[in-house]
Amino acid sequence: MLINPKIKSTSYLIKQLPTLTVFIDRDFKIIHASDKWLFTFGENSGAILGRSLFDIFPDLSIKWQTVLKECFEGKANPMGVQKYKDTQLNEKWYEWSNTCWYDEKENIIGAIIQINDVTEALANELELEKTRVQLKHQSEISKTGRWEYDILKDEVTWCDITKAIHEVSPDYVPKLDTSIAFYKEGYSRNAISMAIFEAQEKGTPWGIKLQIITATGKEKWVFAAGKPLYEKRKLVGFTGTFQDIDEQVLANVETKKNEKLLRTLVDNLPLNVYVKDIHSKKILVNRAECLSLGAKNEAELLGKDNFDIYDYKTAKKFTEQDVRVMSSLEPILGEEVISTNKRGVQTTFLTSKIPLLDEKGIANGLLGISLDITNIKQKEKELRNLIDVTSLQNKKLINFAHIVSHNLRSHTANFSMLLDFLQHEEDEKEKAKILEMLNSSSGNLLETIENLNEVLAINTNINIEKKEVNLYETVKTVKHNLEEFIMENDAQIENNILNDQTIKVIPQYLDSILINFITNGIKYKHPKRKPKISLNLLREEHYSILTIADNGLGIDLKKYGNKLFGMYKTFHSHENARGMGLYITKNQIESMGGKIEVESEVGTGTIFKIFFNEKN
Amino acid sequence: MKKIKFIGIVDDDPITIFGIKKMLNSVVECETIEDYRNGKIAFDSINKKIIGNEDIPEIIFLDINMPIMDGWQFLEEFLKLPIKKRVRINIVTSSIDPYDRKKWECFKDKTHHLITFNNKPIKRNEIAEITKVA
Repeated sequence: MLINPKIKSTSYLIKQLPTLTVFIDRDFKIIHASDKWLFTFGENSGAILGRSLFDIFPDLSIKWQTVLKECFEGKANPMGVQKYKDTQLNEKWYEWSNTCWYDEKENIIGAIIQINDVTEALANELELEKTRVQLKHQSEISKTGRWEYDILKDEVTWCDITKAIHEVSPDYVPKLDTSIAFYKEGYSRNAISMAIFEAQEKGTPWGIKLQIITATGKEKWVFAAGKPLYEKRKLVGFTGTFQDIDEQVLANVETKKNEKLLRTLVDNLPLNVYVKDIHSKKILVNRAECLSLGAKNEAELLGKDNFDIYDYKTAKKFTEQDVRVMSSLEPILGEEVISTNKRGVQTTFLTSKIPLLDEKGIANGLLGISLDITNIKQKEKELRNLIDVTSLQNKKLINFAHIVSHNLRSHTANFSMLLDFLQHEEDEKEKAKILEMLNSSSGNLLETIENLNEVLAINTNINIEKKEVNLYETVKTVKHNLEEFIMENDAQIENNILNDQTIKVIPQYLDSILINFITNGIKYKHPKRKPKISLNLLREEHYSILTIADNGLGIDLKKYGNKLFGMYKTFHSHENARGMGLYITKNQIESMGGKIEVESEVGTGTIFKIFFNEKN
Repeated sequence: MKKIKFIGIVDDDPITIFGIKKMLNSVVECETIEDYRNGKIAFDSINKKIIGNEDIPEIIFLDINMPIMDGWQFLEEFLKLPIKKRVRINIVTSSIDPYDRKKWECFKDKTHHLITFNNKPIKRNEIAEITKVA
């Protein structure tokens, strides 16, 4: 094709165009092309000029021929977007547009086609569309709507979701006052009004949990958020989100209800319940635990470890337990432990410790349940004491039964023997002798029975009430009553008791005890000394101790110690020894809750210590 | 009638002593019967006889409950004495405490002397039996 010089210069101009431009004649043949166009589509001018556009782009829609033909008639139209794979096989999108090509005489000689690379723009648009869809999706799922208020136009806009939340039809047109009127009267409506007011005055955004009444009259929890919009520092409106949180709130309410139920249960259990973290610090305590640890409220105990609460020894023991439970994952169940708090108060607990595990199965704390069994333990101790006392009394009873049977048997044995003799005896003199023996035997039996009765009376009258008695006066009276006996033996009685000292006793027992010890002390006097007996009173915790010391014969306690207070035991060859005195005395002292001790040295004397129980 | 040289009675009850003596007289011929009012008197007397190389009782009637030194204490000491001959010791007690029987069994097994246990009242035939064996 021949190109005239004019065209040639035009062609040179077109070559330099910074756009992708191509000139075609009315036969779609390419007349000119910018270098950029040639470069972009990887052609060279020699190979392309004069060829049909549709040859070079075989993918071009045939429809475009019509569009171009219209252009040749003077009607330029956009052609649309075309996909193209470049030399690197990258997908590119181009937008084609055309204008009529006029010659100097305003004749249309072809079309000028300009091509724009819209790959990036298209990608952006796609991305935007995607984001839009996602947002819509998201807001549908999260039930979050949008809204806007334009102050200038006094126009409120709700998105579809906002409308759905309000349960109004899609064509509903909200106004500012009707929008606010949806909020439940009272707190919710006041709060939103205040929020808008504050946003207006101070520019503060809001985000509050409120209740609305929907168009169908349903009560709903929503999260209303908004912020003021400014244009050139002037408030032009508000925008925000509107979220339906009814389900969450109700679920929350349900959870709270369950939590409250659990808390009520834990707090009212008659057991100490607590939860500790991995460092043995308390993170939950119930009311019983607070009470038993003397805390006014749980805040006093939360965050505290064993060393803050208990004495060192107890704290160490408890911490070792905690560590053992959390490292072995083996619970401690119903173990009896004694704890001492900071003030030294001891409590016995039946305690269980159960490890609490995290999702990986590692202990991150423990649950403790303890039952205070101090009272039960105390009762148990009392019961044990009672059993001890009972078994002791039982022993005494058996002992007494043996004594009774032995003493009665010895007399009845004599009777039966003597009666047998009497039956076969012919000698009158011998008969008289046996009869006399029978007589004395019966006298002995009577005396024995009287003695046994006396002992029995002491042991059965345990409940006789004790009285406060002036000991000094009592000793004085006893001394007076024994005056003749004391004078006969040239004895000296030293009453060292202060004249205001009193003891709690059964008065007639005290008389009997004093008479017994004083007469014993004189009866078993040392042959080479004048008898001297001194009485003193000591006070000790729970007891008043009366000591009665003599300077008499003394008793070999190694030999007779365990029999000293037995019935019918005598240790000196004294014709008046009955072997009843000390036995009865001991019974009288014990029946008053006291005890008796003795110290003695043969040839020196004896000290009896009588413990009077002052407690009960 | 069998003849026995020496019988001892240890008891604090004069009626029992009278009874045993009376029954002994009717079943056996005895040269000497000595009675002691408690264990200590009995032990001292026998110990003195051993030292003086005199005869000691072949048969002893022993009460348990006595003042100063009781039957058990007497046995304890008596068994320590250097006596080659086998002495027959008859415990005669009114005690029916099982503890006393156990104690007797204990003593019985640790000596070459013959120790028997009788409850009061002791019968004529029991005394005859005792003296026959001895």
